[in-house]
Amino acid sequence: MSEAAVPSPTSSISAQQLAGYGVAAVAAVLVLYPVFFLFQAALDVGDPQIRPPTAYGLDNFSGIFQYPQILLNTLTVSVAATVMALVFGFVMAWILTRTNVPGRHLFEQLMAVPYYLTPLLGALAWSLLGAPESGFINQIWRALGGSGHLIDINTAYGIAWVMALFEGSVAFVMIAAVMKSMDPSLEEASQIMGASRLRTMLRITLPLVVPGVLGAAIFVFAEMLGSFAAALVLGLPNRYYVITTAIYQLVQQYPPKIQVAAAMGVSLFAVMFFMLFLYRRIVMSGSYVTITGKAFRPRVADVGPLRYLLLGVCVLYLLAAVGLPLATLLYASLQKLAVAFPAAGNWTLDNFRVAVTMNAVRSALANSLLLGFGTATIGVVLMGLLAWLIYRSRLPASGLIEYVVMFPQAVPRLVFAFGLMWAWVVFPVPIYGTLWLLLLAYLTVFMPLGVRTIAGVMLQIDKSLEECAQMCGASWAFRVRTVTIPLLVPGLVAAWLLLFIASIRELGASILLMGPHSKVITPSIVESWFGTSSELTAAMALIQTLVVACAMVVLVAVTRRVGAHSVE
Amino acid sequence: MADSKKNNVTRRTLLKAGATIPLLGVAAPAVLAQGTSKSPTKVLDFMTNADVAKAEQEGQLVFYCHENEAGTAGIMEGFKKDFPKINTSYVRAQTGALYNKIVSERSAGRFDVDVIQLSDLAPAVDFQKKGGYEHYVSPETPAYKADHLSTPAGSFFWTGVDPAGIAYNSTKVSAADAPKTWQDILNPRWKGSISCKISASGLQFVQWYALRKLYGPGFWKEFAKLNPHAFDSRVQLFDRLAKGDDIITAIGEYPAYILFKDKGAKVEFVAPPDGLVATPLVVGAVNKAPHPEAAKLFVDWAMSKRGQAWYQSNPNLYYGSVRTDAPPMPTGVRLGDLKLLYPADWDDYAAQRDVFAKEWNGMLGL
Repeated sequence: MSEAAVPSPTSSISAQQLAGYGVAAVAAVLVLYPVFFLFQAALDVGDPQIRPPTAYGLDNFSGIFQYPQILLNTLTVSVAATVMALVFGFVMAWILTRTNVPGRHLFEQLMAVPYYLTPLLGALAWSLLGAPESGFINQIWRALGGSGHLIDINTAYGIAWVMALFEGSVAFVMIAAVMKSMDPSLEEASQIMGASRLRTMLRITLPLVVPGVLGAAIFVFAEMLGSFAAALVLGLPNRYYVITTAIYQLVQQYPPKIQVAAAMGVSLFAVMFFMLFLYRRIVMSGSYVTITGKAFRPRVADVGPLRYLLLGVCVLYLLAAVGLPLATLLYASLQKLAVAFPAAGNWTLDNFRVAVTMNAVRSALANSLLLGFGTATIGVVLMGLLAWLIYRSRLPASGLIEYVVMFPQAVPRLVFAFGLMWAWVVFPVPIYGTLWLLLLAYLTVFMPLGVRTIAGVMLQIDKSLEECAQMCGASWAFRVRTVTIPLLVPGLVAAWLLLFIASIRELGASILLMGPHSKVITPSIVESWFGTSSELTAAMALIQTLVVACAMVVLVAVTRRVGAHSVE
Repeated sequence: MADSKKNNVTRRTLLKAGATIPLLGVAAPAVLAQGTSKSPTKVLDFMTNADVAKAEQEGQLVFYCHENEAGTAGIMEGFKKDFPKINTSYVRAQTGALYNKIVSERSAGRFDVDVIQLSDLAPAVDFQKKGGYEHYVSPETPAYKADHLSTPAGSFFWTGVDPAGIAYNSTKVSAADAPKTWQDILNPRWKGSISCKISASGLQFVQWYALRKLYGPGFWKEFAKLNPHAFDSRVQLFDRLAKGDDIITAIGEYPAYILFKDKGAKVEFVAPPDGLVATPLVVGAVNKAPHPEAAKLFVDWAMSKRGQAWYQSNPNLYYGSVRTDAPPMPTGVRLGDLKLLYPADWDDYAAQRDVFAKEWNGMLGL
């Protein structure tokens, strides 16, 4: 046995403390440093053009309540989208991880596609499909003799639908990671006792995945609160504003009202922390352990002929979230002016020709892939340690660290980016305007995502496994390496992929922090949509999707091998 | 440190340059700031005070621009084509966000940008007051009227003008029913089917200001009753117009009209007899620029007939040139042939910004 395996209790505690405090310090610097600047801006009532502020006060906060309709709109869309995303996420996670539906591995990989397709492109595709006048579906409807419109995507529920499809994949990933780590013998026992499959799902599966579902609910709700692209594309045509589109207007206009926007963003901290408080109360009050010392092999239930119905559900979901949007974008990208029934002269390949010659699609895409890889790799280590620190260590103030970690999730990234910019522009190390700044920004803004994903699985691992190893004399580092990490592998793999995808599709922070030599792809596509044409944007998005899909195939193959190795 | 040293040297050199004033025939302060005592040289077919060899040695130009991605890339492409040894890079954002970014960077002591282009005169004047521009008078300046230059000349110039009238979808509105005057956009028939731009738009501010002066404050109150849809860019407005989502836009930009007409969209343009509202796009070299010679060379190129022809003919720009000897636009029309509505008093215009933003945002439900 190695020397590390038989340490003295004192050295074991020191290693934990060292790792714990080190990670906490890194997280605190990454998060609190920009948050300080954000609060400073929210309280700045002096000349907005002068930094640091010349006067402080609370006037900026009074502006928030001038927009009751916008607050109501935000709540309506966020709640509707969260509910839809959780239902989709839970049902799809259950089907794909707990049943023997045909092609489940393929479907599981496809579930990530809407997430990296980006909500903007999802919104653009659904706008092309469901706009009341020009939407392809409505044009076909009228061509078939219908009148008016069949669907209207420019409504609160249209926006929520698109948000749930394209932002809600995170719910699936988080819930699926939890379900994969669940001992199937619990469900089997229920069925042996005579419970139906539905009853087993509702009474056994659902309660056991409560931490994952709650984590996902909080996460998705926060994501929806900060969601921007779908509300921008689909809400504005109908004069339907939510808080992020209102903030966008404030920061884009001249002179930009950054201070009021910062106050709006900072106010969301209160909402987020209240939800986090609820989450901790629920999680701490019950036991959600499903991985214990008792060995189990993940198995799926044979649902008989029902599996073909479930296959239909999967196909339908992926058709709405992947197939139809991609086909629509392809159809639009091949036209000069996208319509449902194009004339012969309207077809063109010019959009693809222009897209591949644009710098945005070449260097920006390479930068995005590089950043995705870096963020995911460093992020999994950092966020895994943070999750352990919060939920497993006995270090004082570990609960406080969770609140710190959740800060970036509470504020729309469009606003948080200003805190990041002010923070790192004055930082003595010259990282501003480089890819390093974007890496730091991504590690910061995606900290809640990574920690929540890993924590969902970590909460299911019985502490007694680590304690058992400790009793056998294993050091903290040895225990983490040989017990905790192998059990966490599904969660870590899910977190890695999620962080990779999230980095590539990131928009709010990147749009402000990109330097002339550190362009990334999603903001470039957004800019194209704003200022060029929806047809060229569709072409750019398809190229991005293709390249990222190739990268994902390679990465999934690698992570699968890692997972297989871990199981062995 | 290197930047400040460069800057000091430049200023000392400039102070010795007074003797060149009569040769250049431009204002003294501008000449003092040119950073060179030599006469302008001809490069390609325009004049420059920049040291082209030095600019090529610098090898880089960093451009901040309000224009969309394709438009910004287009400007850089034009310059790079003429000066292939100078690599170009850019950051683009809406004028408000861009202005905030550059002010934040400079207050933190970061000077990464060489040239900035803004779509609104008000922030350009602000930036000038803050001492943000390098005071550089291009030898191409005499081709511009004083109205189209900063006061005093040498901070920025109008690199182009974006004029707007009314546009409509010709499959939804007949030519007979189409609006002919600005007042015609108030017809209740357009309720729920008319579009405009958001308050971040410099052009929208100009339109609000100019038509308010012409027809009184009640004009926009009537307009608000039509529940207009507001968008960020001219492309979005015309995209919706071409597809029939809106049937008329109250702020149809001429460059976007040309672009969509080329694509075969069924859109038509109306120039009201009272004039087209117009906003300048302003360009200036930034002081403490990391590549000062390249910055000056770009300003000279952009002001030149050559650069202006590029701005006017690029499909993603189509800016009308205010050069006194400007060539016609791709449609054959010269900007000078159009009746343009600018604010008569730019100071009063700038002072009305908050009133406009409040009224416009209120109208849109913000």
